[in-house]
Amino acid sequence: MRQILQRVALLFLVTALPAYIYAQVTVSGTVTDASNAPVIGATIKVKNSNIGTATDANGKFTLTLPGRGGTLEISSIGFRTQTIEVSSNNSDLVIKMQEDVGRLDEVVVTGLATSVKRRNLANAVATISSKQLTGMAPAQTFDAALNGKIPGAYINANSGAPGGGLSIKLRGVTSVFGNTQPLFVVDGVFVDNTPTPAGLNSVTAAAAAGNASNQDNPSSRIADLRAEDIENIEILKGASAAAIYGSKAAAGVVLITTKRGRQGKTKLSFSQDLGFVKVRKLLGARPLTSKIVTDQGWDVNEYNAAVAAGKIYDYEKELYGQTGLTRNSILSLTGGTDKTSVYLSLAQKDEEGIVKRTGYRSNSIRVNVDHRINDNIKVGITTNYINSSADRGLTQNDNAGVTFGVALSSTPSFTELHPDANGNYPRNKYGASNPIETRDLVTNNEAVSRFVTGINLDALLQRSDRSNTRLVARGGIDFYSLKTNAQFPSSLQFQTVNKGTSVQGFTRNLNSNYILSLVNNFIASDKLNFTTSAGITQESGNYDNLLNVATQVIFGQSNVDQAGALTATQFRTKFQDDGIFVQEEVSIIDAITVTGGVRFDKSTNNGDPDKYYAYPKAGLSVNLTRMDFWKGTFFDNLKLRGAYGQAGNFPAFGSKFTTFPIFNIDGLPGSLVGIQRGSPNIAAERTSELEAGIDFSILNSRLNFEVSFYNKKIKDFLLLRTVPASSGFSQQWVNAGDLRNRGVEISLNAMPISQRNFRWSSTTNFWMNRSKVTRLSIPPVVLGAFGNTLGTFKIEEGKTATQIVGIDGTNGVVKLGDAEPKFQMNFFNEITFLQNFSLRFLLHWKHKGDNINLSELLTDLGGTSPDFDADKDGNGKADGLDRIGALGTTARVFVQDAGYLRLREIGLYYTVPKLPVSFIKGIRVGVSANNYWTKTKYKNYDPEVSNFGTGFSTNVDVMPFPASKRATFHVMVDF
Amino acid sequence: MIKNLKIMKRILTIPSLILVAAVAILPSCKKEIGSLNSPIIEDYTNASKAQLNNLVSGTESGMRNNYAMYLDVVGLIGREMYRFSQADPRYLSDLLGGGSAVLNNNTFYLTNPWASRYRVVKNCNVLIGAATSSQLLTDAERKGYLGFAKTIKAYQLLLNLNLTYTNGIRIQVEDPENLGPIVGYNESLTAIAALLDEAKSDFNGASITFPLSSGFTGFKDAAGLLKFNRALAARVAVYRQQWAAALTALNESFLDLNGDLNNGVKHVFGTGSGDQLNAAFFAQNENGEVRLAHPSYATNIIAGDDRINKATLRNAPASSSGLSSNRDVWVYTSPTAPVPMIRNEELILIYAEAKIQTNVLGDAVTAINRIRSSHNLTPYAGAVTQNALIDEMLYHRRYSLFFEGHRWVDMRRYNRLNQLPIDRVGDDVWDKFPLPLTEQ
Repeated sequence: MRQILQRVALLFLVTALPAYIYAQVTVSGTVTDASNAPVIGATIKVKNSNIGTATDANGKFTLTLPGRGGTLEISSIGFRTQTIEVSSNNSDLVIKMQEDVGRLDEVVVTGLATSVKRRNLANAVATISSKQLTGMAPAQTFDAALNGKIPGAYINANSGAPGGGLSIKLRGVTSVFGNTQPLFVVDGVFVDNTPTPAGLNSVTAAAAAGNASNQDNPSSRIADLRAEDIENIEILKGASAAAIYGSKAAAGVVLITTKRGRQGKTKLSFSQDLGFVKVRKLLGARPLTSKIVTDQGWDVNEYNAAVAAGKIYDYEKELYGQTGLTRNSILSLTGGTDKTSVYLSLAQKDEEGIVKRTGYRSNSIRVNVDHRINDNIKVGITTNYINSSADRGLTQNDNAGVTFGVALSSTPSFTELHPDANGNYPRNKYGASNPIETRDLVTNNEAVSRFVTGINLDALLQRSDRSNTRLVARGGIDFYSLKTNAQFPSSLQFQTVNKGTSVQGFTRNLNSNYILSLVNNFIASDKLNFTTSAGITQESGNYDNLLNVATQVIFGQSNVDQAGALTATQFRTKFQDDGIFVQEEVSIIDAITVTGGVRFDKSTNNGDPDKYYAYPKAGLSVNLTRMDFWKGTFFDNLKLRGAYGQAGNFPAFGSKFTTFPIFNIDGLPGSLVGIQRGSPNIAAERTSELEAGIDFSILNSRLNFEVSFYNKKIKDFLLLRTVPASSGFSQQWVNAGDLRNRGVEISLNAMPISQRNFRWSSTTNFWMNRSKVTRLSIPPVVLGAFGNTLGTFKIEEGKTATQIVGIDGTNGVVKLGDAEPKFQMNFFNEITFLQNFSLRFLLHWKHKGDNINLSELLTDLGGTSPDFDADKDGNGKADGLDRIGALGTTARVFVQDAGYLRLREIGLYYTVPKLPVSFIKGIRVGVSANNYWTKTKYKNYDPEVSNFGTGFSTNVDVMPFPASKRATFHVMVDF
Repeated sequence: MIKNLKIMKRILTIPSLILVAAVAILPSCKKEIGSLNSPIIEDYTNASKAQLNNLVSGTESGMRNNYAMYLDVVGLIGREMYRFSQADPRYLSDLLGGGSAVLNNNTFYLTNPWASRYRVVKNCNVLIGAATSSQLLTDAERKGYLGFAKTIKAYQLLLNLNLTYTNGIRIQVEDPENLGPIVGYNESLTAIAALLDEAKSDFNGASITFPLSSGFTGFKDAAGLLKFNRALAARVAVYRQQWAAALTALNESFLDLNGDLNNGVKHVFGTGSGDQLNAAFFAQNENGEVRLAHPSYATNIIAGDDRINKATLRNAPASSSGLSSNRDVWVYTSPTAPVPMIRNEELILIYAEAKIQTNVLGDAVTAINRIRSSHNLTPYAGAVTQNALIDEMLYHRRYSLFFEGHRWVDMRRYNRLNQLPIDRVGDDVWDKFPLPLTEQ
């Protein structure tokens, strides 16, 4: 009976609607901020309807409401949502928006297809706006632009090589050998972040002796994204927030939303950056005397002759001292009608490096289209094509003496390395290679061609006055082909055996994923609201890497067939993960939010590919100030929250197999047992996290605090344990033990001054993490560096996961340091003054946290350390000799404090108030500096360093590509 | 209450409907993707000959892994040579005992060669298991595979025993879950000799159907492999001071007093795909990464001895960490030069040694003169006593087998490590490596 009534009502509505439309109200007006500047792109929506518009470049809007008016909801990112009642035509509404200092009205995701306002959120989800990302002092790559901006993260640049390469760890180490990097999701598409080594090891032999892991310095594939296209980033730091991403979420999830088109006038923007990049710091050369030269065993006659001829060089400066020019252009277009909106951007970046013949280029095109098929169905398509190329030089550890740093470390300033008049490079008498020759002749290029596209469908399946059900389908593909090209011509000093080497790698990777979910919103009463979602997910990946190492290459040729010998290796990985999830969110009187959910996942990487693992989650947030009984006025907002969740981390591909790699001899194909013993029972690691916090706002919401505590436990963490080598194997994947991370995050958002001519908004974050290995079922494992003599990481029960141990005289092997910072802080400020000026800066403080500095050891051994002859300890012996003397006795000298206080980004921008011509809608100019000032005790190029790339063992310093600093001039014009 | 029930019902039905739908449309379960990149151990059940042959070649290929590093560490400790490396200081600190540095039980110079040898042992064990269980072989063919696998396994175990000496090695390593005990030096030698004897009886009536590299030229059939096996047995016998057994083994080996000194079984190298170059080769007059003859090599050599050509003069001396030399090691003169496993020159010297020790000094002198005349030296004119001849024999082993991995072991066998030169104050001559950390 009731259903029939409903249908009748619906029929009535449909037939009566045309007549109804004649009654309407038209309003127009301006939306401004507190200083009366127009707010561009603010959303004006009629409450409880799909009618809405957005403000134009002057903050103006016009909207027609059907019927007798209604409630307008005006919202814009960074402002508090306002409501205003309209009941008659009005053409000069002025809506002044209040800055949302605590970002309480920001909408934050809570599930795969659901979101909630921050004021009701149960987790501390960090967000980064496009202004914070690119509006201060843009970094070269997207990943570098995140550095210092995520509370709870430990982000570390691997080196200063063009094209990036960063390690991002959220809330401590979540895995030792498993994946430590967060999952990146761009508009619903899971994007790949696999670093692909270029096969340089065939020349550098870096993995030949001390540590067999990759030291090729590959870049991070997430660096391909254009930061300028990004609207907003949300970071789910731990399992309690990310559980719904299941077994890929143990290391956290970074959700990236790109810019979308907006209804309204088409807006065209062009922005041009021009700048330069320089080495952040040079170490200097050792001042020489003929006694030093003699003591060193160097050729004193050569030295005297060079002094007489005035030919003492600063090779370090020659190598790393180039000023690189940078340029970056972006053309973007946004616009749309009530049905279709579009965002288009074209971008090109071309940057030289601080080393001659290095640099980074990238081209990107993005088209995001949203279309409303009818009132009930919306579809959005995002597409992005990226083409990038990075020339990365030859740096880091090697055992052949060929990288810039290793060659420099033993090369004194008086020997001649420059080519003669005929272009012949002299052989370096003091090293296995001539670094000037290496720089001029060696190529090490990574070129990527990448296509990321996603589709997003939102269909209203059912609607009644109490309930609506939507189908939300998201998915997409991420495809890239990566070519690595390393060329070592035969004339090089170190090519006497191989007589020219060409290493060419071809990688193609296809990731695809989809999420199909149904979301039901049920309003039980005006005080009780249920959001139910459930669905299925699938992610699959297919990675195929073909690496060709050609030697005896015909002079001047690079093709791998132009060679006397060719060795090819192919490496493939594949996976498919399937998941099912259910989630329920209950909102009570818009003040209490209860969330519960579970995801079931299986993966082909697990020992048992058909076994489902369950990852539950639950959350509770209570906003006291929104309760009826709350009377106080001191707090504008006071929320207590707690959340719990579990997430996993699948074993690496192939963990379960004992394989037989190819080992040929004399034209006979051979199979030799692999060094990794298969683990047929390998299972996913499981992270469970409990987070609790309190958020409050005071002083009319000018001061907003967010305080979070978390306790994250990783159970059965994956460890590549070393097995007795007499078994024929060297390592084996095991679920070895339990790990714990505990930490605190405190965030303070403030608007200390808000006046017409001077506004200062400030965000300060403090965060710290402490880890502990709570259980280890196997003997302690030494890993991640070069053994006890030189200092190494060690996984040991009862100790921190990031401890650095080493030999120390008669004490034996003891803890010498810890890579984990004691705490970190950042300080982000924006000061707007004289109406049109805006000064923004970000300070980042990492307090303590140690590196293993082996670069200094190598320069000491080579006799080239600038402070070799200093005698700081006053023992009458050169410090360089003291340090060499420590080798084999103690590793203490190599473990060095790598804390820093860094002005990561600072930028001053000016909005030109009077526009020259009417078709120009806005002009902004600015200057910025990136990494320009750093205070650190650390002695090598930069405290941020990682010889082993992204992963567990960052913080090992072996002759990296030196870090750089950037200065840029910006012009932005809107049409 | 009724309303609440309805709500509950609605909340429960929607997800359960979705779940049912989800399970229905989930793609049919793909169980196992497989290894994709190479064969896996399960592939060798009832292995074909082609698969077994691949294991044979893999075994042969794998013997070369880290063998140059073995030559380096044994050569350094035995003060035959220096290995300068810009990038790794531990060659000159730990291995020479510089300052207070000692041999570490978890560092590459020990763990890399050790693991590479046991990796080949594992491959041999897989080959033994696969050949034993395969239904696709004749008995004679099976015996061929078994003889080869056991001979190589014994040789690889011996190389590791040379490193750890009285600290011992593991012999029973078939089951990675239940590794056998660490066995002392003498016991290990006994086990290795027994393994070689087992292989000997396998070769009896064996048919060799698997291909071997050109390093086995002349030794590719059952008779040839048996000679190789007996040559190794002779080496093990002198290590065990079983002089008569050494002579018996030599009889069945390829010892030829008047034959080519270089005749023997070798590791060969090539530029083919998946092949390796000889890492023990460094060009002359390089800088940075170099191998230099120990200065005593030139100072102790008898004038006119042509074996000085194994250590050629450099254009300029090289120095590092207080060590210096003006001669390059020049034993392997190209990146594809072979490295001997065992060759006739060593067999002649084993013959001489066994004759000296059994006091048949005339035969010993004959053998030594054979070596002397080959190296541009006049016949032996020293005292014909056991002691004098032992000195003479060790001299020839030093120069004939330079940088082939013998000097340190020989000086240790004769308790003469204290006669090795100490270059820097505080340097040490180690007598053995500790057991690798993972074995303890």
